[in-house]
Amino acid sequence: MYESTFPWISLMIISLPVGAALMWILPSRYARIVALVTALFDLMLTLSLLFRFDASNPDFQFVERHSWIPTLNIEYAVGIDGMSVLFLPLTVLLFIAVVVASWNSIRTMPRLFFTLLLLLESVTLGIFCALDTILFFLFWEATLIPLYFLISLWGIGPHRRYAAVKYTMFMLAGGVPLLFGFLLLAFDQAGMSGGVPAGLVFDYVTLLNNPIPGELQTLVFFLLFIGFAVKTPLFPFHTWLPTVAMEGPIAIAALMTGLKLGAYGLIRFAVPLAPKAAVEYHWLLAGLGVTGILYGAVMALSQSNLRRMLAYSSISHVGLVVLGIASFNLQGIQGALFQLINFTIVAGGIFLVTGYLHHRVGSTDMVSLGGVARTMPLLTTFFFLFGLAAMGVPGTNGFPAEFLILVSALKTHTGAGLAALFGVVIGAAYFLGYYRRAFLGPVQSGVVADALDIWGKELLIVAVFALLVIALGLYPAAVLDLTEASSRAWLGR
Amino acid sequence: MVLNQFVWLVPLLPLLAAAWIGAGYVAGWNRGESGERQTALVASGATLLSLLFILALDILAMLNGAPGQLDFGTWLASGDYRVQLSFSLDALGLSMATLVVFLCFISLRFSVNYLHREAGFQRFFMVMSLFTAAMLLIVTAGNAVLTFVGWELAGVSSYLLIAYAYDRPTATANATRAFVTNRIGDAGFILGIYLSFTWLGSVEWPMLNHGVDSIETLSVGLLAFGFLIAAAAKSALVPFSTWISRALEGPTSSSAVFYGAVMVHAGVYLVIRMAPVFEHNPMLMMALAALGVLTALYGFLGGLVQTDVKSALMFAVTTQIGLMFLWCGLGWSEFAAWHLATHALWRGYQFLSAPAHMHMMMRPNRPLRGWLARQRWLYTAALQRFWLDHLADSLLVKPSKQMSKDMQNFDERIVNRFIGLPGSASAVSSLAQWESRHRGDTRVEGDTGDIGHGRGFMGRAMERLASLFGWFEEHLILRGGSEGLLAVIQHLGKYVQHIENLLVQPRYLLLMIMATFVVIL
Repeated sequence: MYESTFPWISLMIISLPVGAALMWILPSRYARIVALVTALFDLMLTLSLLFRFDASNPDFQFVERHSWIPTLNIEYAVGIDGMSVLFLPLTVLLFIAVVVASWNSIRTMPRLFFTLLLLLESVTLGIFCALDTILFFLFWEATLIPLYFLISLWGIGPHRRYAAVKYTMFMLAGGVPLLFGFLLLAFDQAGMSGGVPAGLVFDYVTLLNNPIPGELQTLVFFLLFIGFAVKTPLFPFHTWLPTVAMEGPIAIAALMTGLKLGAYGLIRFAVPLAPKAAVEYHWLLAGLGVTGILYGAVMALSQSNLRRMLAYSSISHVGLVVLGIASFNLQGIQGALFQLINFTIVAGGIFLVTGYLHHRVGSTDMVSLGGVARTMPLLTTFFFLFGLAAMGVPGTNGFPAEFLILVSALKTHTGAGLAALFGVVIGAAYFLGYYRRAFLGPVQSGVVADALDIWGKELLIVAVFALLVIALGLYPAAVLDLTEASSRAWLGR
Repeated sequence: MVLNQFVWLVPLLPLLAAAWIGAGYVAGWNRGESGERQTALVASGATLLSLLFILALDILAMLNGAPGQLDFGTWLASGDYRVQLSFSLDALGLSMATLVVFLCFISLRFSVNYLHREAGFQRFFMVMSLFTAAMLLIVTAGNAVLTFVGWELAGVSSYLLIAYAYDRPTATANATRAFVTNRIGDAGFILGIYLSFTWLGSVEWPMLNHGVDSIETLSVGLLAFGFLIAAAAKSALVPFSTWISRALEGPTSSSAVFYGAVMVHAGVYLVIRMAPVFEHNPMLMMALAALGVLTALYGFLGGLVQTDVKSALMFAVTTQIGLMFLWCGLGWSEFAAWHLATHALWRGYQFLSAPAHMHMMMRPNRPLRGWLARQRWLYTAALQRFWLDHLADSLLVKPSKQMSKDMQNFDERIVNRFIGLPGSASAVSSLAQWESRHRGDTRVEGDTGDIGHGRGFMGRAMERLASLFGWFEEHLILRGGSEGLLAVIQHLGKYVQHIENLLVQPRYLLLMIMATFVVIL
């Protein structure tokens, strides 16, 4: 393991709250500028991490360890490996996009809004870096506080308070089994060595190297699985996502669909910490994954509102990720990671465009749109491009990911793979169906006829996302090379 | 050969042209009429360079023999699944590439005047360049995955050109239909690719064609079946035929290359490319021939009753494509390749000159053939295009849409209630709508905001439990026996009836069949 001499990761996590604090010293009108500068500073940090990262080394890098609660053996331990390194710059990029998208649309209490946003960014980055289960859990639950206020105070739907409460309750309910799972792991290790509390183990790497006995694994796997499934979201627990997408601010919807923390948790914790149980219950993962793919896709077919449609399509796409995880081969896991990285770019980009549309037209409902292409050709073009990526058309980053997942799924779960292929066909149908009714056709409302196309800052940030879509589509090795060593190590467990 | 090392430029040049025009439009350096000259120059210039390059390769190939398979490293690799950046420059690949790029160039030159001062001039040239790149990739690619990349990009550009007049609802609806039909073929393509990876360990065309000797006939059949679906969808063979007649909404010059001359032949090309694989399994050869005959008949009969020139030409194309598949099925793939080349050239010319002919023609339409007019049922069937569209509608489109509605109900009534979200929250998308509902313009049930009541599964469950006890006391204990129980049973009966009604509908049958598949496999 390579220990870092300079605390890069801590600096990355800490710089954001510092920026947030700075905001309260300066006048309120500088809030957005401070937020942007802080986020840009963080982007540089994450990019420098990416360049210093050694892709051939499957171990954790830039590791920092400090004792935190010594009596319980809880440490402050952070580090990244090939599976998490790419999420950092993309997360920061997504937050930058959110800051830019909220530039003019947030008028009430901008200081509080941007502070919460930066805090959320800080703990989200923490989730990707945490190497101690309790630290991870702390970051995990800490996302709820800023999200609660962001949804309930700046939501655009009439039921925003309700949505915020519901979201928080859902996530807290998911957090309980998660904590139980982590505690069970720690106590099991304590039973083998030293007893409680001296032998408690919360360190991720130690837990990885000492897998727990078979029967207990099943229990741990299910506890962690339920905890992460709520956040992913997998089929029966998915209803919060469309609600939040409808009620919350569009910027938050972009974060929710762009950052699939639940699926990351599955890959990082649920599967490797209980490997035998995960392999044994692969059919559950594959079954829920394929249910998600078809359910989300079919639901998306009949949506009249863009935000709901995108929420369901996101449920469908994350089903594909879970199916990839369930195949337990290199193609599957690399495809799943690639797809998760795509989410940040594609879902982030598409929600950005949606936000611009909503800002101009005041609605994302099919009935009040129509003919958007006539007055906003650039916005329409970018929307179409992101849609192509979501459909997995070659030339966009969606293709390599979807292709790898499908090929690996056909190998291990042939039936589920065939069903997923069917989902691919519906995927084109619902996206193009909505696109046709809302963006093409004659202009029907005066608001659309008078709207201006995107320009300036908006254009710039969307273009960055579009370039990433095409670049990763043409040169997928950029992602695959980074994730390969760690994925092989992951499979080895 | 030095020249061979740069063969990747052939599809790349038109792609760069497309990127340049697209970027120019975003940045604003070629918009409007003043940008037309530059746009046309970039698009046709890139295509011309590709053409010259291919011609040079042709000459070299004639002198020294075709270079064959060229490999330029790995594009996508994950474990033992590797996709090389390889090109197949054998006689077939070279001649096809020459044909494609020549036709695309001609049609681009034609469009410069044809689309002068059209609003979507830049868009058209960008998509045409993209299409040229995609087609060149299909015919020069050295493996199935790269061909698939071109295959899908051609599909996307086809979508964009059918929906060229995007404010006409029919054009956009037809474009969507055509693309989704093609997606079915794409799913088959992915299946074929996967099977080649698993059974042959490679997707390179030469490996694929030689490797089939080592695996059993049934496996070869399955493998080729995937590719056959893809070819049938792209070339509009019989079950998929209708998308192509819907595809004529685009500008004439694009119809010429897409559906008359170039793209429609992609399926034939795929079958010729994989001829050794198909020849391995006699059943498949029969399937090819049968599909070919059916399509030729469909095209012939349908073509007789058409009254406009584009549709008549389209049906003629369908007939010829059917014949080409028949040749492939009979094992004459070289003949099919010749047929393809001559047909593409001739049909491209016909499509491009059709508008001019319309101006010159003064005669009325040719009357219907006597024998067809006497067979009334056949005539009707031909007019209705053998109800293929209706069939697809009632078997696939409608059930999917219905199922979507059912799922929506399921989500709102069952999942949402179970978890405890108010059903109406989802139906209102903005404060304005919500207010209008509150004023009473539209009524929503269940939006009364009753705080005293339990929400969600747990809350409801407690409430229900309480009322159940009450009901139990009242009906079964206080009133005693028969009446109350009877009502309960009748109530249950109604529910069962409802479920049964749902189950006999085709979409649930389909769903159950699919579920069985998932469980079995």
